[in-house]
Amino acid sequence: MSAVTFSQVTKRYKDGPKAVDALDLDIADGEFMVLVGPSGCGKSTALRMLAGLEEITGGELRIDEQVVNDLPPGDRDIAMVFQNYALYPHMTVRENIGFALEVAKMDKTEARGRVENAAEMLGLTEYLDRLPKALSGGQRQRVAMGRAIVRSPKVFLMDEPLSNLDAKLRVQMRSDIIQLQARLGTTMVYVTHDQVEAMTMGHRVAVMRNGILQQVAPPQELYLTPANLFVASFIGSPAMNLITSDVTIEDGTVFVSFAEHRIRLAPGAVERYPGLLQRDGTQVIFGMRPEHFALAGDIDVGDDQIIGVEVELAEAMGAEVHVHTRFDVPPVSIDGESLDPDEDAPVDGTPIIARIDGVHIVAMGEHIRLALKTHLAHFFDPTDGRPLR
Amino acid sequence: MSVRRKGPRATAVKVATYVLLGTVAIIVLFPFVVAVSTSLKRNTDIFTYPPSLVPRTERTITDPERDLESATVYVLPGRDGEYALADNDIPIAEFRRIDDPTVVIARPPGDGTETDRTTLVDGDEETIYLLDVDGEQVEVYRARLTVGGLFVPITGDGESVVELVNLATPDRTFGPRFENFSEVVTEKNLGRSLTNTVLVTIAVVVGQIVTSVLGGYAFARIDFKGRDQLFLLYLGSVMIPFVVLIIPLFQLMLQLGWTDNLVALIIPFVFTAYGTFLMRQFFLGIPKEIEEAALIDGASRATILWKVMVPLARPAIATLATFGFLYAWNSFFWPLVIINSGNPDNGLLTLTLATLGGRSSTDTNLVFAGAVLAMTPPILVFLFAQRYFVENSASSGLK
Repeated sequence: MSAVTFSQVTKRYKDGPKAVDALDLDIADGEFMVLVGPSGCGKSTALRMLAGLEEITGGELRIDEQVVNDLPPGDRDIAMVFQNYALYPHMTVRENIGFALEVAKMDKTEARGRVENAAEMLGLTEYLDRLPKALSGGQRQRVAMGRAIVRSPKVFLMDEPLSNLDAKLRVQMRSDIIQLQARLGTTMVYVTHDQVEAMTMGHRVAVMRNGILQQVAPPQELYLTPANLFVASFIGSPAMNLITSDVTIEDGTVFVSFAEHRIRLAPGAVERYPGLLQRDGTQVIFGMRPEHFALAGDIDVGDDQIIGVEVELAEAMGAEVHVHTRFDVPPVSIDGESLDPDEDAPVDGTPIIARIDGVHIVAMGEHIRLALKTHLAHFFDPTDGRPLR
Repeated sequence: MSVRRKGPRATAVKVATYVLLGTVAIIVLFPFVVAVSTSLKRNTDIFTYPPSLVPRTERTITDPERDLESATVYVLPGRDGEYALADNDIPIAEFRRIDDPTVVIARPPGDGTETDRTTLVDGDEETIYLLDVDGEQVEVYRARLTVGGLFVPITGDGESVVELVNLATPDRTFGPRFENFSEVVTEKNLGRSLTNTVLVTIAVVVGQIVTSVLGGYAFARIDFKGRDQLFLLYLGSVMIPFVVLIIPLFQLMLQLGWTDNLVALIIPFVFTAYGTFLMRQFFLGIPKEIEEAALIDGASRATILWKVMVPLARPAIATLATFGFLYAWNSFFWPLVIINSGNPDNGLLTLTLATLGGRSSTDTNLVFAGAVLAMTPPILVFLFAQRYFVENSASSGLK
């Protein structure tokens, strides 16, 4: 049974483009669904439509099989956690958590018990009589969570709840939320722009772009078999390296060449992307995740799978080293949009990040030889971004 | 935190600052002090010279042994010690010497031996008397008959003296006269005016808060057609000076039959574009998410307004209430125009005070008592409300 169903749900602002375009999404009961995408992709709008804070222009939205298109937020049996927590500043923690129960005119003793239970679950008991301004960011965040769970709603909605926290606290709260959701078993719709959050938290992740749903899949599946070029570039950090390359096939062996390099593809690549065989003499987008590189000595590959590069920057992360280099080919863009978030940066060739073992010491300006694990590579059509499967 | 400079120069600057501030404070406070002091004085004490800021009263003494009851204590010219005025109606003859008419000798009227001679004083014929002064017979004439006081010594061991009361100086001590306040309230109709002013002020302030909160919220958060144009129009009305409105407003009141009626002081001032603007701006500053959270919590618009927005807007409401209060409390010109019949039942504090302090006023102490009564509530309100101006508690903790 699905807890939430979006059927062709569309949101169009006055004279504007569609913020959400014919969204079809089934969220199962008890599922942790993450909506992820760059800013302006429509993920928050989708969530706000689900909350009842935005009117739905078209399509049908159901919660628990009930059409809720025209139901006010208070009648939808949902709870929401906002990015800035939206606590009531003039109410104590206790009043904040209990406000919904007060509005619903719940019996005072029962309400009190539920508030205290929620507070205990979140470790807020000693702060119950404080005002939000006397709380730290993490505590405020937990109060916002408490306000949501005290009502035992059908669905939790979370709109980037962790983005105002510092990095360490964010990791902590991330696991807290995962555990809380697992314990309560309540359906959760979680919006974030952070793909790390999406990958670590969601049972399934829905990737959106420009109002259009790109792919819905469990995190690992998104990572391993991205449905298109955008998903491939968006999921993963550092992002997948996308290189415009020419395909040549000689005696059944597929080669890709870009800049001065010519790489022989391992048979595994062609097995996973059989579409490559029809692309002789055409351009494809060759996708290599940073971990698909290794320093030449570390793995046993032939010389035709090794390239020499100059290190522009080496970031030692401890367990690994991120080597930044550049291939002299035009950078890949999707529908004319650059993938580089820093668009004004002079684009000269395609920047590449390779992740090599941390035991190596690599200096800037050094020439190194990188081996390519081509059997793991991804291939996309440069015109429509589809994978060549 | 900035680093503060230390050393003698900094100290000098600090001292100079405090001296300057202190001077200005004294200058500003002085009229208040004078008003309060005058409001506690007796009317006779106000125009004394040298003037005094301390309200004084004549010292009295009660001493059954000397048969004195609440007798005023005086200092007599040319005599040591203090005297109490035991009797005020002793007839006195004022004799002047023939050879030196500037010397005045006060005696009981029966004193002196009448002779048959006369003398001319300023064209009047006066009988010459022989008076015993320190054992010597002196020729005098009787300048006038008057009444004086019998002064009994209470310190030292002088003798009782009969003297003109106005030549004696009463000994004054600190003594505020609080009856000024009750008198001005009961006898000068200030009580009724005070009630009216309080009534009108409360009605105006409450009305302004209600209309401004509702209007401000609607302009800030409810989307309706022509909202922003309407708001501009509304705001534009702030630019019209009140004097321009007086005649049309008066005609309107005339048609409604509200002249000489307190309603005319309330209804026109309950709607305030300024207050609506103030509340709208404040509501705009409250994050939308807080309202959305309340919506999701199931609250209705009314609940949101009452339980979330209004408590958050407390500083703005306090500001609005203070301005509304001061305006309504101090308003003078419009009441003067509309409460025109002189009906004392509809008087306002400002009107009554203006009458009280008018040209023919003699009770200066009562005028000042009324003024002090009139200015105390605004001062209290301001002292109480100023923490809301300073306090910014509502906006902290929002983000």
